[in-house]
Amino acid sequence: VRNEVVITGIGGQGIQLMAKTLALAATRSGLQAMLASEFGGEMRGGPSQASVVTDDHQLRALPILPSASSAIVMHHKHSDFALDRLEPGGLALVNSSVADPAAVRDAEVIAVPALDVARAAGAPNAGGFVMLGAYVMVRQIVSVAALGSAMRELVPPYRAQHISANLRALEAGAAQMVPA
Amino acid sequence: VTSAAPARELLDGCAAITESAIAAGCRFFAGYPMSPFTGLLENMSRRLPQVGGHCLNAESEIEAVNMALGAAAAGARAATGSCGQGLALMQEAIAELALNELPMVIVNMARNQQDYFQATRGGGWGDYRTITLAPKDVPEAVEHTQLLFHLADRYRAPVILYGDPFIAQTHVSVDVTARDLGPLPAKDWALDGSTGGTGHSRQIWTWAMGKVTDPGPGPDGHWRAIAAKFDDIARTEARSESYCIEGAETVVVAFGSAALFVEHVVDELRADGYPIGLFRPVTLWPFAGAELAAATRKARRVLVFELNAGQMLDDVRQFVHDRDTVRFIGGVSIHGSGLSFGPLLDVAPIRSRILEAAA
Repeated sequence: VRNEVVITGIGGQGIQLMAKTLALAATRSGLQAMLASEFGGEMRGGPSQASVVTDDHQLRALPILPSASSAIVMHHKHSDFALDRLEPGGLALVNSSVADPAAVRDAEVIAVPALDVARAAGAPNAGGFVMLGAYVMVRQIVSVAALGSAMRELVPPYRAQHISANLRALEAGAAQMVPA
Repeated sequence: VTSAAPARELLDGCAAITESAIAAGCRFFAGYPMSPFTGLLENMSRRLPQVGGHCLNAESEIEAVNMALGAAAAGARAATGSCGQGLALMQEAIAELALNELPMVIVNMARNQQDYFQATRGGGWGDYRTITLAPKDVPEAVEHTQLLFHLADRYRAPVILYGDPFIAQTHVSVDVTARDLGPLPAKDWALDGSTGGTGHSRQIWTWAMGKVTDPGPGPDGHWRAIAAKFDDIARTEARSESYCIEGAETVVVAFGSAALFVEHVVDELRADGYPIGLFRPVTLWPFAGAELAAATRKARRVLVFELNAGQMLDDVRQFVHDRDTVRFIGGVSIHGSGLSFGPLLDVAPIRSRILEAAA
């Protein structure tokens, strides 16, 4: 089954690491993945966006998606591309700690207060992993465990101290999507 | 990870091309950083020492290509690269490689498609051309890389991989395995030092004059032979792909990443009932002129889409039977950074340009 997601936000929110984690987890789970990124030269605050397409058979995808069945909106700034190309009725997972879910129209909007959830999980820097954990519970592309393994593989040795917080954030995000 | 896990790795194009080059036996690389080529240099500098190879960060593109020339003369599978602006500096050495008959893979990780003339006509001196492969995506770039090392050795000539920012930076799940492309002649011409001091030392020289005691063919004989070799390559190495050509009233011609986008638009328009197809030159040189003529013989219009002011257009006009059917629908479109494609390389504008031209 083919799945497309555009992850959009600003530099510093972990957009690129989220996208790589999802694409690597998909590859390790036996799927085919394509990841295309675009980001500004700024260290913080500039546009940051990534598209991840996964499929269980031979994948043919454009590096600039004409349309996508889902979006993860980490920030309202620079989100035009992701929202303009979101298919009508597509899934929009919105980081409601920052962005206004009501601003997203014509979509199945799910609000996740990612920063609040991350703080409560003792992982204040890992809002992106909260969103990713929640996303795979809705879209079932890969398991939360596969995301965790991919994240461990991607985090460089000098950032290894963040791995446990990232894992807590993934779990906390997934728990958001489980009915109480 | 169990043994049943797939062999595919998630790699960006620069990493995938590096792995493919190493699988092909590349053991020497030199380059000078320039976006989007820099990623390739970084990967080569990390990976080559791990397999007993060498990667040098040169002080300029001119130095890089000449370092690689030296390694190639010594018999190594050598490569260099840059983006088109850097290849402009390398043109003298590329001509020398062609006239010296030295194999070399040159990766042009281009910023857009304004390098077509440079790749297919070249800017150096002499009757030579460069075999140029333009992959449409990362998996094809992996295949082309190995094929190019083979062709470079087979013809003892410099060859070009024409990439772009999408090829360089897009990550895909790829399986890089060494391909067996058949036997190659021994490199008995290489300057390996083995005959030093014997009076029969080897010589590599664009003029091929030889020595007083052992005269060579000289420039007339040597340069005729080189021209004949490139004629031979032109006859045998052209590669192309026709997509949905059957019954197509409109045939779009596009190469590289642009062809991938056009392919998508062709699928959309075919689904809407438009009789449209795509012809993709895979080798930009040699240009598959006979195949293009055959693919467009019954077409009412031939639309050329490329991200430049009309360079491949010259080749298309040469070979399409009725030149009046050829229309240019591409154009210059550059990202604000100057380092990548602009907004024209997208499904919606390509679709509207095709529909406008076909109306």
